[in-house]
Amino acid sequence: MSEALGTEFVGRKGAYFWLSLKTGILTILTLGFYRFWMKTRLRRYMWSAIRPGGHPMEYLGTPLEKLLGFLVAVVFLAFYIGIVNLILMFASFSLFAGNGAAYALSFIGLLPIIFFAQYRARRYILARTRWRGIRFGLEPGAWGYAWRAALHWLATILTLGLLLPRQVFYLEKYRADRTFFGDKRLHQGGDWKMLYPPMVHMMIGAVFGLGSFAVGATSTERAFFLVPVFLIWFGYGAIHFRVQSLKLLTNHKTLDGVALHAMPRTGRVMKIYGVGYTLVYTVVGGLLFALFILLFATIMTMIGSAAELDETFDIEMIQNLTNTPVWITTILTVMLYFTVFLMWNVLSQVFVGLPLAEHYAQTLSLQNPGALTDIRQRPRDEFAEAEGFAEALDVGAAI
Amino acid sequence: MTLRAETLPSASPVFGDLMDGERALPVRVALTLTATDLVIAPGDGEALRWPLSLLRRVPDQAHPTDLVLAQASDPVTRLIVRDRAMVQQIKAVARHLDKRPPMQNTGRLISWSIAAVASVALIIFVLVPVMANQLATFLPPSGEKALGDTTFEQIRNALDGSGIDPVPTCESPAGLAALAKMEARLTETVDLPYPLTVRVLDHEMINAFALPGGYVVLFDGLLDIAEDPDEIAAVFAHEVGHVVARDPSRMALRSAGSIGVLGLLFGDFAGGAVVLFLAERLIQASYSQEAEMNADIFASETLEAAGVSPLGLARMFERFEELSGDQPSLLDHFMAHPDLVSRIERAEASGSAADYTPSLTDAEWQALKTICD
Repeated sequence: MSEALGTEFVGRKGAYFWLSLKTGILTILTLGFYRFWMKTRLRRYMWSAIRPGGHPMEYLGTPLEKLLGFLVAVVFLAFYIGIVNLILMFASFSLFAGNGAAYALSFIGLLPIIFFAQYRARRYILARTRWRGIRFGLEPGAWGYAWRAALHWLATILTLGLLLPRQVFYLEKYRADRTFFGDKRLHQGGDWKMLYPPMVHMMIGAVFGLGSFAVGATSTERAFFLVPVFLIWFGYGAIHFRVQSLKLLTNHKTLDGVALHAMPRTGRVMKIYGVGYTLVYTVVGGLLFALFILLFATIMTMIGSAAELDETFDIEMIQNLTNTPVWITTILTVMLYFTVFLMWNVLSQVFVGLPLAEHYAQTLSLQNPGALTDIRQRPRDEFAEAEGFAEALDVGAAI
Repeated sequence: MTLRAETLPSASPVFGDLMDGERALPVRVALTLTATDLVIAPGDGEALRWPLSLLRRVPDQAHPTDLVLAQASDPVTRLIVRDRAMVQQIKAVARHLDKRPPMQNTGRLISWSIAAVASVALIIFVLVPVMANQLATFLPPSGEKALGDTTFEQIRNALDGSGIDPVPTCESPAGLAALAKMEARLTETVDLPYPLTVRVLDHEMINAFALPGGYVVLFDGLLDIAEDPDEIAAVFAHEVGHVVARDPSRMALRSAGSIGVLGLLFGDFAGGAVVLFLAERLIQASYSQEAEMNADIFASETLEAAGVSPLGLARMFERFEELSGDQPSLLDHFMAHPDLVSRIERAEASGSAADYTPSLTDAEWQALKTICD
């Protein structure tokens, strides 16, 4: 048993579509309360679709523990957010005569808590993930992560992005080195400088984009035409960096003799984004168009039936239509908003989220799986807070 | 893993993968169904017997045909059955495959729910208003004025609907002169934190409002329905009451505090924005009542001090009531404040117009009414 262990993916768009549509509708009908159930069920499906060595992953988080964790987070965060926002708004009105500064400050004030929440959310998710019956786990260390993340971000911003590889590498190493599968610890090897080559397209896009802007602004105006080209190049570079840095980082991860091997391809990921979002836009756009036609047809029918009654058509009839009670138009608007929102979420899950998971899963394999035999179970991490903070702050707890 | 033939049952064997939750090593097991149990026999070692009534299916699995089984009360051990015929047989005989585990932590869930609701209520209805009230008085006038300027522009843009050009302000010279006269007369006795900025918007809405930094804004629609200048003077005085109390700044601070907290509660289930907006409206409406009452008291005092009949206030109330039948009755409004009622009753009782002079002459009144023409 020394050959590589590949990963199957058995998720299907149809089944996933109905599951996310059903749970999405319930979430909207319950003013968001069902989201804990929705998230749990979608994760169960997605986890079980990923089958390294033919054995499904299992997600064991429960909706009620998510609800509980959310309530706990609300109790603490409500004070922080309410009072801090108020004071910041006051300071911003007094010092800067505007509220823009307050929103910026409020966001910066929240950043450490956001990093904290992201680490805790990861801990919760890993603690509730099993493969071959063995639990994953993440050691406590959220505050250590939060201040490291804040400093790395600061360094990256101050060096105009030049230290991005360092940030990505060390933050991933911090998380990976605290990750367990059963009783064995994951190890992140490699070096931060290995992430520079994947960054090359991003750099070309940024340097030449700014360069052609500068040339356009100072001497040859035609250089402006190159700016969008390099913007697109930069966008491609950003995706390339994400995919390739993930690949490199994964390929330098080991678990007590077992090595991870990932082969995701930038081109494939680009294609998934391109095709996926085109489909999403088309369907949501088509839906909006259909609703518009329906509304138009309704108005025409009303005018038509009035004509049958030998009433002369005049502008007042249109005015009568616009005089429909406010609550009807409000309800229609709200329904339209929720329909579009729901379809957007569901379709981007199905056409982008699922194919991406499929690609990443199918290109992942385990080298020397024989070493897995020595792995034993780890105790359950109760972690009652679940991903409450991340959920409350809307960060990192997405499926 | 190999299986020795002699341990297999003689009838065509069906296999599954058992994960014992101890080692990261699935064990290939032979499966047989008896009348009461699912017998799970590993190649070596003792067979497990899972009672059919305790068999549970792991829910929301992606694989269309595989069945992942667990035993109730055992959170770790899992059995994967791939053989379709066996899956069908198990589904047919296991009655409680989809039974859910009993709810845990109910007590904690309830107490934390109460704690969450209580803390949010405490913050939104007590802490934030109290702090907003305190902080509003410390805001420097220049900051308030800047806030008022931006808000006024935003409102002009929002009212336009198309968003192309903002609703114009009305500026006929005679109308502005009449307005200035009314302002001078009403604010003579008032200690203002900053000079007023009075504007008339060319819009049919029947309304008036105050903004931070001393903005008093009247709508043309209001001027149209008013039958005499004292009615406008009453509304004007009411809005000045808001300015003096710094209500608009309070409201801005208050919404800054509460909107973030509400954002927490609803999360991102619908982009959040719409729900937040509606919830925020509700809170503001309840907030306004006390402030409105105080502004009314202020208005009646100011009108009296300026020698303008406070009856204009009562008439304006009646007019608003006619216009919006289903609004919370203004009667309630008066009942909640006997002081205001007695004040207006006194004004009515005195009856004679002797003590009061109209806030504007007829000519000025006509000029004000046509300020937008």
